[in-house]
Amino acid sequence: MASTMKYVRVPPNSASLAEARQRVFEFFKTACRSIPSIMEIYTLDDVTSPSQLRSVISSEIRKNAHITNPKVIDMLLFKGTEELCNIVEHSKQRHHILGQYVLNREDRTHDIGNKDQGASDFLKSFYKSNY
Amino acid sequence: MASFTASSVSFSAVSCSFKQNKVSSLGKGSLSFSGNGSPSRRLPALRFRVSCAAKPETVNKVVDIVRKQLALPADRDVSGESKFATLGADSLDTVEIVMGLEEEFGISVEEESAQSITTVQDAADLIEKLLEKK
Repeated sequence: MASTMKYVRVPPNSASLAEARQRVFEFFKTACRSIPSIMEIYTLDDVTSPSQLRSVISSEIRKNAHITNPKVIDMLLFKGTEELCNIVEHSKQRHHILGQYVLNREDRTHDIGNKDQGASDFLKSFYKSNY
Repeated sequence: MASFTASSVSFSAVSCSFKQNKVSSLGKGSLSFSGNGSPSRRLPALRFRVSCAAKPETVNKVVDIVRKQLALPADRDVSGESKFATLGADSLDTVEIVMGLEEEFGISVEEESAQSITTVQDAADLIEKLLEKK
């Protein structure tokens, strides 16, 4: 099943930003085209829809939209492709998919509420990422 | 046109007739059929050629998808001539819209054709062309 997906390897060097852009779009298209099979593997039909998954994928890509170094973009594409392969070959389970991509997509810092008024910036960006 | 004259088509064959009907409704040349050795006839009603504008319902569907994707308010005017860039779509949005259209119409857009899409009308025309080919 994994071999049917594609021979997506990210060759190590994108020559320029433009080529890296093209690779990003290719990756996005590959991911979108595998959405139907993902929905079937993990039976996501009643929790989400293909268009929502598409927007989740694009928001993940947009999180790194500010990067300009082609090598970094290659690395991110490699990670993305690895994640996509893992999902498509059923190496993950349904709760992984739900937790990572379907549920709780709104910004988690919204529900800080009153008790964290004095929270530092470190804490505020804690939920966003490790760095 | 020549390919249709070569094959003998009888309307009792259901699958063949569907294909003929689909093509003939888009006016691609003339339809000729021969039943048991009778000479081929041309049906004059089917000979009109559709000009290459896309059908309005296709354009409307495309507009809907664009609207939903870019979260445009209902008063923002989206017509056939609006370019995606003026509607506030960046390149990833454009690709996403194309993927949405692929899913909606069940077509598959190649790389080069996807590059050339800049307006809503382009997208609708491309969809029409791919639907005809199917």
